[in-house]
Amino acid sequence: MNVEAPQRDLRGPFLNRLVGFWRPLRNLSAARSRVNATRSLLTAAQFQEELSILGLSGRRFEPEDYSDALADYLDISIAVHVIPDSWYPELTRLLALSGRLGELRYAERLNLAAIFVPGSLPPLVLTLTILHELGHLAAGDLLIEFDEQPDEDDQHAEEVKFTTLPLKKGKKLARGNPFAEESLREREANLRASYALFAGCLGDDSPHAYDMYDVL
Amino acid sequence: MSAAQHQALVLGSVSFVAFVFYLCFLLRSRRTNFSVFAACNLLFVALVFGAVALVDLSGGRAEIMVAVMMELPVVLIVAWVCLALAGGLPAILGNLPAEPVSRRPWLRAVLGSAPLVLLLSVGLATAVGLIWPSPALRVYAPAPPQFVVLKALIMAPECFYSGFAAVVFVMAGRAPGLKRRFYYKNLAFSVGMGCIALIAVESTVFAGLRVWLSGGDRRASLEMLNTVETCLATSCILAFAAGLSLRYTPAVATTLLQRLQTGWLRAQEEFESLEWQAVSTVAADQLSHASDAVVEACRIKGLSESDTQRALATIRLVAVMRDPSSETQYITSDAARELYELQQEILRDDVLASKISWAAGWRSRANEPQTVKSAPLHDALKAALDLVDNDGESEGVRTPPLWHYIVAVSAADAKMIDPAQVSMQLRDGAEHRAAVEAYEDARRVLRILEGND
Repeated sequence: MNVEAPQRDLRGPFLNRLVGFWRPLRNLSAARSRVNATRSLLTAAQFQEELSILGLSGRRFEPEDYSDALADYLDISIAVHVIPDSWYPELTRLLALSGRLGELRYAERLNLAAIFVPGSLPPLVLTLTILHELGHLAAGDLLIEFDEQPDEDDQHAEEVKFTTLPLKKGKKLARGNPFAEESLREREANLRASYALFAGCLGDDSPHAYDMYDVL
Repeated sequence: MSAAQHQALVLGSVSFVAFVFYLCFLLRSRRTNFSVFAACNLLFVALVFGAVALVDLSGGRAEIMVAVMMELPVVLIVAWVCLALAGGLPAILGNLPAEPVSRRPWLRAVLGSAPLVLLLSVGLATAVGLIWPSPALRVYAPAPPQFVVLKALIMAPECFYSGFAAVVFVMAGRAPGLKRRFYYKNLAFSVGMGCIALIAVESTVFAGLRVWLSGGDRRASLEMLNTVETCLATSCILAFAAGLSLRYTPAVATTLLQRLQTGWLRAQEEFESLEWQAVSTVAADQLSHASDAVVEACRIKGLSESDTQRALATIRLVAVMRDPSSETQYITSDAARELYELQQEILRDDVLASKISWAAGWRSRANEPQTVKSAPLHDALKAALDLVDNDGESEGVRTPPLWHYIVAVSAADAKMIDPAQVSMQLRDGAEHRAAVEAYEDARRVLRILEGND
């Protein structure tokens, strides 16, 4: 997952100084929000709420439908590029050696997200990889202010609630902010992928499809 | 017994009967967070009305306090329902909003403000009542104008929020494609909340009549309104009871789905991605000749595309499982067997096995989606385990398909498995001989093609 942040090259000395004053204040408030903002990992029921926002709750859908609905909601373009690496075994070898099954790139200026996956992946892994990368977009992981690095020792894996980070301007589907720890963001993207796969397969047979029609 | 005590006795009895009905018929079979809360609330209402019926608290500020306490259960119900619709309950109680609310943030904001606004209005009404006491419990007694202010302060927001919640329930019930059971359930809750809104209006009118009407007209009007209120309260309780009693059991249980997510899906994704990495990085060279020969042999024997894919998946698995390098250490017989057993567990449930599927490629709707059964991996796991890890005991149970023999011959030729063991396992039958012939023909064709290159 990579973000191409827009370049701002018109900063004069005055603006730089202003930014210098502003940064400690902003960091102070961010630190406070970091301490206070915690949440647990996404549940299947909460994912159903996201599907409802996308108009997919209780419906059978393919990953393509999820991608299109997410793009519409986030008001961005999402392009999925399946690399035809089966014709180039050396390329497949290099991709496999890199240990990454997929890559998400986001160009903020162009409102464009591009997902790259090797076409030689087994179909289920290909589907889950694309859904995983879409999960990062839904969570708003690409909108994190990257200068807000979390303290490495302020969380423990066994904790039920995890620290989140504030976002810069942009739209996300998830209710909560992204996690501060990258491993948790990856874990949640995996969860979103598996929830999406099952919700898409089961449609209105999903046990979570009607949770939002049965709130009492 | 004063009129106020009499009214309290009637309302207390109704509440107690409702509480008993709840305990006996609903709470056991339909225990939700709301039903538990409503049961506690009903008991609280019964106790408050009972206390008022037994002890004459009329007069002064005590009367105001009791009157406000009698309003509190309904206020709490409205606040809870609004918060539940907004998805604002604590996570442990389930914090999903109603479907129409999830798509409209402004609805969530309005409903989420209910507890604060309602409790503030109750506080304000209490303050007004304590500053200007009025005969709040003496139902038919004339009252000063401040009494209308006191009532309106509580009833206006209560009417607004309960009416709002009734509309949201209707919106939820009207969702396209919704099961009828949910339609009726939401309709019942909507009726219940609508009744509360009407009671709030009626209560304010009641207070107004006590201020502005006098003599026999007042008494008759108030008695009529009291009857209306009783009917509305009964309808409200019955509507909520009906709504809570309507249950829906999903076709797939939540626990089963969780098990699939954390068990099978995770295992299969991990296994397939590790196998892909191992095949691409380590076993690719060793496999290229063997897999070409397998494909060609399958073509010579006229096997289907799906059988050819199964044969390819099997030869890949055998190659990786037999490879001693560290890159393939996770693709073991144990891992393969564990995944195969998880797949078998899904296949035991026909409905579930047919529903869980995934596309064969991105935006390739022309191709049939794969299922656990139809994906090449399932049969490939069994075949690879038979070839790599078989002690010869299970043979003879069923005759393997021809593609299995072709893979066995190819794997033996590539020294991935012991040829003697293969001969023993496959018992040199007609299928085996056909596979050997096809494989030799395939090798010959490939050699010719290589020579031409």
